[in-house]
Amino acid sequence: MPRTRHFGAVVAGAAVAAVAIGPVSAQAKTTITMSGSTSIAPLATKLARGYGKASFRIFQGGSDIGIADVSRGRVSIGNSSRDPQSSDPGGLQFNRVARDGVCIVTSPSNPMSSLSIQQVQAIFTGRVRNWSDIPGAKVSGTIDLVVRTPASGTQDAFQNIFLGQSLRVSSSASQKASNGLVQQTVRSNKNAIGYVSFDFAKGVNAVPYRGVACNLRNAKSGQYGGVRNFWMVTRGAPKGATKGFIDYVRSSRGQKIVASDWVPIR
Amino acid sequence: MRSDQRAELVLGALACFVLALIIGMVVFVFTKAWPSFSANGLAWFGTGGDVDQQLTDIFNSPANPKAYVYELRAWPLLYGTALTTGGAVLVGLVFSVLAAIFIVEFAPERLQRLLEPVVLLLAAVPSVVYGLIGILVVVPFVRDAFISEDRKKAVQYIVQLDGTSLAVAVAILTVMIVPIMVAIIVDALRSVPRQWTEGAAALGVNRWRVMWTISVRAVRPAIIAAAVLATARALGEAIMLSMVSGSKAFAPNPLDGITFLFEPTRPLAATIVDNREGLSAVPLGQTIYAFAAVLLVSSLVLSFAGWYMKRGLRQGVIYGGSV
Repeated sequence: MPRTRHFGAVVAGAAVAAVAIGPVSAQAKTTITMSGSTSIAPLATKLARGYGKASFRIFQGGSDIGIADVSRGRVSIGNSSRDPQSSDPGGLQFNRVARDGVCIVTSPSNPMSSLSIQQVQAIFTGRVRNWSDIPGAKVSGTIDLVVRTPASGTQDAFQNIFLGQSLRVSSSASQKASNGLVQQTVRSNKNAIGYVSFDFAKGVNAVPYRGVACNLRNAKSGQYGGVRNFWMVTRGAPKGATKGFIDYVRSSRGQKIVASDWVPIR
Repeated sequence: MRSDQRAELVLGALACFVLALIIGMVVFVFTKAWPSFSANGLAWFGTGGDVDQQLTDIFNSPANPKAYVYELRAWPLLYGTALTTGGAVLVGLVFSVLAAIFIVEFAPERLQRLLEPVVLLLAAVPSVVYGLIGILVVVPFVRDAFISEDRKKAVQYIVQLDGTSLAVAVAILTVMIVPIMVAIIVDALRSVPRQWTEGAAALGVNRWRVMWTISVRAVRPAIIAAAVLATARALGEAIMLSMVSGSKAFAPNPLDGITFLFEPTRPLAATIVDNREGLSAVPLGQTIYAFAAVLLVSSLVLSFAGWYMKRGLRQGVIYGGSV
C-alpha cells in the first residue's frame, strides 16, 4: 500500500516538472500577424522577441504572399524582400526596416578588381567554367564555385540580388553550411569564388561590384549594388499596435537587432 | 518505508520516465515526418532529380498548406550515409582489432600503460575539433596532393572537386570511431581466460596464431558490439561530416575510378544540420523530421541486429562492452 502511494507521488512529481517547462501561457496582449518573405522571417522573429509589447504570429510563404495577404487584410504586416512593383495592389505602404546583401569573394591570390552582373551570372550558373575566360582573372584553371545550402538566407539574398527568378546556381557547385566555411574555403583555394555576408569578407578578396567596394558602409549608404531592401508592408499608414511595432523596429533599439545579421537602415 | 525500498522506487520511476521519453520521441518524430513520407510514398527512398534543388523547392513552398511541396528522392543522401558509415566502420574494424591485439599482447608494459589512457582520451575528443582539423589541414592537403587540374576537368560538368570528399569524410570518421572500438576490444581480450591461451602456447603455437585463433575468436561478440557502437556514432555524426564531406547531395560514382574517392557527398545527419536555417518553413521542417526518422529507425535496427548476432555467438565466448 505505501509502495503504490510513493510510486504515484514520484510519477506525479515528474508530471509537474514536465508541465512547468512547457510553454508559458500568453498574457492578454494584442496579436500582430505577419506573413511573407521567408528571408525576413528570422529577422521578424528576433524583433518580435525583442519587442515584448505584443504577441506575434509569423507565417511565411514568399514576398508576394505577404503583399497579397496584407492588401486583403488577412495579416497586419506583410513582409517583402523585394521592392514595390507597379503591379502591386493599391493603398499599400512599404516601410523599409533593414537591408540585406552579400559580397562576392575570391581568393587573395586572385584579386579580381571588378565583376559585372553578366560575369557574375555566367560564373555562378556554370556557363563559364574556366578562369581563363574571365578577363582580369589572375589565376587559370577551373572556377570552383562555393555556395551556401539552399535554406540559408545568404543563398536567398544572392539568388534574388544577382540571379533573379529564372537563373539557377550551377548544380555542380560545392555547398557550405555557413558563411565561415565559405570564407575559409575561398581563402585556401585560389580557384574559388563564393559569396558571404559583409562580416565575413575579411581575409578574402571582396570583389567590387559596378565599381563600388563591398563593405558595410557602402551597403548602409546604398551605393553598393549587391543589397536588397527588407520591407514591412502595411495597408495604408501603420496604425495602433502595428505602428508601435514598426516604430520600434526602425528605432535605434530595433536597428541594433537588425545589425546582428543584417544591414541596419541607419 | 526502508531507504532501500525508496531508492528502488525512485530508480524505477526514473527508468519508466526514460522509457516514456524514448517512446514519446519516436512517436513525435514520426508524426512530424509523416507528411513527407505520405506525399512521396516509397519513391522517397528512390533516385531522381537533384536533391538540393528539391530541398530548395520544398523550402520555397507557398504559404497555403494545401500547396506545400514535398517531392523528394532521398537516395543520394541514404547512399552517402551508407558509404561514409560503412567505409569508416570497415576500415575501423581492421585497425581497431590489430591495434587491440598489439596493445594486449605485443606492446611492452610501459607502452601499454601509456597507450590505453591515450585511446580513451581520443574517444572523448569532440567531433567539431575533428571537423576543424579536417577542414583546415586534411582537406587542403587532399586538394593539393590528389586533385590535379585534369582530374577536376574530367568531371567539371557534373561535380566540383575541392578536397572536401568521401575519402576525407571516411578517413576522419574512422579516426573518430576507432578509439571506442579499440577500448571495447582491449577489455574483451583482457578477459580471455589465461588457461586458453597458455594451453595453446604450451602446445607450441606461436603468439600470433594464439591471438588470432583463440583470443580474437573468443571475443567476436565484443567485436560486434564495438562495430555496432561505432556504426551508431558514425550514423549520428553531423557537424564533422557537414564540414568535410563536401555537403553536397551527390552520389559518388564508383565508375569514376579513383576520382570516386574525391567526390563530395552528404549523409543524412549532415543534411539535417545544413538545413537548420530553414526549419521554420513548415514543409522543410517535416522533411527534416523524415531524415531524423530514418536515422532513428536505422539505429534501432542496428541495435537489434547486433543483439541477434551476439546471441548466435554466445557459446564459449567472452563479453566485453555492450550494445
